[in-house]
Amino acid sequence: MPIPVIVPRLGWTMEQGVFVEWLKRDGDTIRIGDPIFVLEGEKATQDIESTDAGVLKILSTGPRGGDTIDVGATVGYLLAEGEVWNGTPGTVTAPTAAAAAEIPATEVDEDEPVVESNAGAGTSRQKITPRARRVAGELGVDWSDVDGSGAAGRIREADIRAAAEESISIPMVASTPTAPAVELSAVAASNARRTIADRMLASAQQTAAVTLTTHVDATHLVALRKQFKAAAGDPTEVVPSLTDILVKLTSVALKMHPEVNSRWDDERIIISDEVHIGIAVDTPQALLAPVLRSVTRLTLRQVAVRSRDLIERARTRKIAVAELQGGTFTVTNLGMFGVDAFTPLLNPPQAAILGVGRITREAAVIDEHIVPRDRITLSLTFDHRIIDGAPAARFLDSLSRLISNPAPALIV
Amino acid sequence: MRDISFMAATLEALSEEMAKNPRIFVMGEGIGQRGGNFKTTHGLYDIYGPERLCDTPICERGFVGMAAGAAMTGTRPVIDFMFSDFVLDAVGEIINQIAKMQYMSSGRLKMPVLLRGCIGIGHSAATHHSGNYYPMYGHFPGLRVVVPSSAADAKGLMKTALNCDDPVIFLEHKEILSIKGPVPDGEHFVEFGKARIVREGTQVTVVALAHMVHKVHQAATKLAEEGISVELIDPRTVSPLDSDTILQSVHKTGRLLIVDEAFAPYGFGAEVAARVADQGFDDLDAPIRRLNGAFAPTPYSPPLEAAIVPNVELITQAIRDLLDE
Repeated sequence: MPIPVIVPRLGWTMEQGVFVEWLKRDGDTIRIGDPIFVLEGEKATQDIESTDAGVLKILSTGPRGGDTIDVGATVGYLLAEGEVWNGTPGTVTAPTAAAAAEIPATEVDEDEPVVESNAGAGTSRQKITPRARRVAGELGVDWSDVDGSGAAGRIREADIRAAAEESISIPMVASTPTAPAVELSAVAASNARRTIADRMLASAQQTAAVTLTTHVDATHLVALRKQFKAAAGDPTEVVPSLTDILVKLTSVALKMHPEVNSRWDDERIIISDEVHIGIAVDTPQALLAPVLRSVTRLTLRQVAVRSRDLIERARTRKIAVAELQGGTFTVTNLGMFGVDAFTPLLNPPQAAILGVGRITREAAVIDEHIVPRDRITLSLTFDHRIIDGAPAARFLDSLSRLISNPAPALIV
Repeated sequence: MRDISFMAATLEALSEEMAKNPRIFVMGEGIGQRGGNFKTTHGLYDIYGPERLCDTPICERGFVGMAAGAAMTGTRPVIDFMFSDFVLDAVGEIINQIAKMQYMSSGRLKMPVLLRGCIGIGHSAATHHSGNYYPMYGHFPGLRVVVPSSAADAKGLMKTALNCDDPVIFLEHKEILSIKGPVPDGEHFVEFGKARIVREGTQVTVVALAHMVHKVHQAATKLAEEGISVELIDPRTVSPLDSDTILQSVHKTGRLLIVDEAFAPYGFGAEVAARVADQGFDDLDAPIRRLNGAFAPTPYSPPLEAAIVPNVELITQAIRDLLDE
């Protein structure tokens, strides 16, 4: 019997998406894992892989590029080899209609092996322990492709941790997606804008945001960056940017002050073991914050390579939704626009966000002499529900010290 | 700190508290001049005399009922069952009267009764002298149920029991009475509802009581040589049960095995498993397992008796199996 092809949920809060285009044609043979259509979620587009095999049936009544569709809606069907489409399910869209249409008992051919319906999440059949599921959420690991080492292939915590390690050690070159760049429709852009609008409004209304600012002597930081630049021989070599160095130093400071690396979760404060830093990126369509995972476990060079790749893919909208989720802290740099200090809005449910201002050459008094020094302004916004002023100030102070003398913290 | 046996530790606790509190008296069979079948009152008759060490006829329902009445009048009776199996004759008095009286009197009547007796399988004592009754007593509100595994805990818990205004069922596994262990000098109290982490580990949590604590400890020592790290928790009291310590341990290890000499159905392990499944679901990296004594009357035959109790080999295997899940 026909297996419905269903619109998956790309983010926790996603209720609707925009159907961008089919990647397969009516009558194509689909294998499990084949990209089958492109879906625009809240912030990014994603190739949707098939969780079942069969021959694709695209109905003339199905969605067209730019159509808004509900999560759970059926966009097409997969037929068994030789199965004839009899048109029963009719128009697609409402998931309830599709489910009802799937039932007719008379259609079941006893001689054919019963094809299991995927009914939404393709991974629902894979066994995973509750703990492994929890850890996967914490580390941002997609466990649908993880091999389980437990009884009968059950995924256990160790498998998730191994997968998380692996994803860190994969060279970034390999992760360039092969999917073609997707042209954005006006609807899609406004979809992303609407998501940002909702999130920012919620942030402003539902958090107790306080911003602390401080001036830091960044002379050594600037000098360090110059050393990297001067030492780079090959023009293709990735030189750590100031943001990269700041992200790495921030991760060190977060390890020293784990309470800042936390989130508000329904009357509870959850402190994360891992430091996943979102880097705010200005893209032509929207503000995105791709997440650099397990920053404390990355070298500065890995931070640079990885963040460049993430930022590039965010700008060209080739980024997966999963790469925009699971951050525990965010860094936003407006220095290149000549901004000194600002009041960044929190990225809920994260407890804090760091705003980085421009670096200016200023006269400073050192040992009764006026000397030129590079100065940078940091703006730390924190959620006062989660963190008090003094701990936030201590975090900012630790970070300032790391910036004043960055080298020791980077050589680990 | 000195090493004394489990039984010497409880005798010390009883003796110390009787010296402090003249309202404490003991009733039971052979607890007077004889000093108790398990030496539970050894030497006390010479100090406190027949009024405070009352030998009774073989009439459990009678003397447990008397204890209920005596407690209502303001004394603090200690009932020495010898074998707790025979107190089944008096369960009506315990559950229907002693456990409910404070509630029924709106707290006006206190029931500071200490009911103590031996439990457990061993020494071919056969099925009339081998029961483990803590799951049954733990089921009822109004009772505190204490099942110590070490000499220090036995002393500290008995002293707490002798200062508790609620009825306490104090069950002593007869196979561990002579095991010596360090006991603090002077006053030593152990709070009810606080588990003891017998050994710390990282890979699997094992919860056990009484004799099973010793057997699991042996198994864990053996497994440690292979690099398998077992955390052993002794709840010490079945009611109240310290869920928090168990949950914290499972949060760390992700695996839980309950080793219990008593029968599995509707038992202690089922209760622990249910609480962890409910409150620690997201911490579980494997199914919760139980290893219990066989669901059968206890045989007299030594080889058959040995076959129905979890031993070190079975416990070791159960831990290995759980790690493979």
